[in-house]
Amino acid sequence: MRLFKLTFATIFRRKAWAFCLFALLFLPFALPMISSASEKPVLVQPARIQAAWGTLFICTMVWGFFAAARLGESNTRSGTGEYFRTTGLSATRQLFEIWLALFAYIVPLAFTATAICLFAAMPAEASEKAMWWTLNFQYLTLFLLVFAPLLALACALASRYGGITGFGVTFLITIYGLYGVGYLDNMLKLEANSALQALWLYSPQYRFADLTQRLYFKTGALSGEVFGNMILYFTAILAVNTGISRLCFRTSATA
Amino acid sequence: MTATNPTIKLGPGLAIGYTAPLATFSEEVELQGGTHFLLARNGRGKSTLLRTIAGSLRKLSGDFSTHGFMQYLPEDMRFDPEITPKTIFKSLLPKARHEAALSLADRIELDVNKVYGKLSTGNRRKTALIMAEYSVMPDRGNILLLDEPFSGLDAFARETFEEMWNKTSDNVLRLVSCHPDYDSMIMPSVLLIEGNKISHHADDGQKWSSLKALLN
Repeated sequence: MRLFKLTFATIFRRKAWAFCLFALLFLPFALPMISSASEKPVLVQPARIQAAWGTLFICTMVWGFFAAARLGESNTRSGTGEYFRTTGLSATRQLFEIWLALFAYIVPLAFTATAICLFAAMPAEASEKAMWWTLNFQYLTLFLLVFAPLLALACALASRYGGITGFGVTFLITIYGLYGVGYLDNMLKLEANSALQALWLYSPQYRFADLTQRLYFKTGALSGEVFGNMILYFTAILAVNTGISRLCFRTSATA
Repeated sequence: MTATNPTIKLGPGLAIGYTAPLATFSEEVELQGGTHFLLARNGRGKSTLLRTIAGSLRKLSGDFSTHGFMQYLPEDMRFDPEITPKTIFKSLLPKARHEAALSLADRIELDVNKVYGKLSTGNRRKTALIMAEYSVMPDRGNILLLDEPFSGLDAFARETFEEMWNKTSDNVLRLVSCHPDYDSMIMPSVLLIEGNKISHHADDGQKWSSLKALLN
């Protein structure tokens, strides 16, 4: 795990993770104070939920993808990837160790957002408390399942095509999966189009993993069947993304 | 041959290059533990040969085999500019060797607390060399392929590494590409790329002054 340790130490030294952690701890408490929630105390908790998960999404999509792309690119261009490969560390293992080091920073951020929802936005009613724990667990699981392979994708694309491509493509895929497919769905409801229908069908529906609105409106946890289907769906996307990432990932510029 | 004996066998007809052959071995060469120098003029294939042996590049023809834990240190290898040599050693070296690595760094005047991005070229080379030298596995054979390890290195550091190499020549095979800078440099084993031929010259008293005439 030498590459994991080196990557973990590199991320730690860069300190950007600390800004993300600070934003995640500060913004969910500060932003409701300057929103309409300041006049309606009942809105403080929903605003806090939105701020917590919104900050987590932004941190992961901006810092997480950027760091992944930078790590992938530098592993290839700095000669470290080639060095590690000659020591017997395969490309698959290198991608895994780089990804794991970054994911080790994303997981605590995701747990922080979940903890804020659990301990600083818990519904008062006893009947809603059990649902709240379940829903937050479901949200955390889906979030990690969606973003884990995307971090690997950013790293792999950057190792082959450069950091800007690695970051940009992954960022756009995520934005499309979170928001674009929703617009496409609305368009298809207004006017049928077989090409767009096919595109929609094969698009990653990341919007289903965004449970912020369910938390916001306290509409309850997902049923076991729905949650199971979503796990299967996002696991399949994870498998596809992992395969693409491994195919794209390279350890040296001339390999 | 025991498990701690590192070897590189380069067969006759082994050709290196990217698309067209840069150089070819005319006869079989077998290298064992110790330091072997790789000499050639610029662009003749020193790095290409090292990368081929390391498995980073495909050979164009012929065969070769290696026995031992391989490490190839590219000439332009660099670490993240924000981390320090100390962090690099702590991340990449076994815990039992941290002290020895830091002690060597101190002896050759490498500031291990300065961020890598602010180190001079020579100090960056020192960092990579210490990392590679202390990654050597004591209980088995090792192959260290060093591409221009002396570039930017001061004479004292260079001598320190050469002394270190002499002490660990039994289980470590070092193939070192370099451009010697003094005629009296002793080079008992040399792989020489002359034109498009690679040959092995071994003689205990062999010096750079007698070899440089062969380079064309």
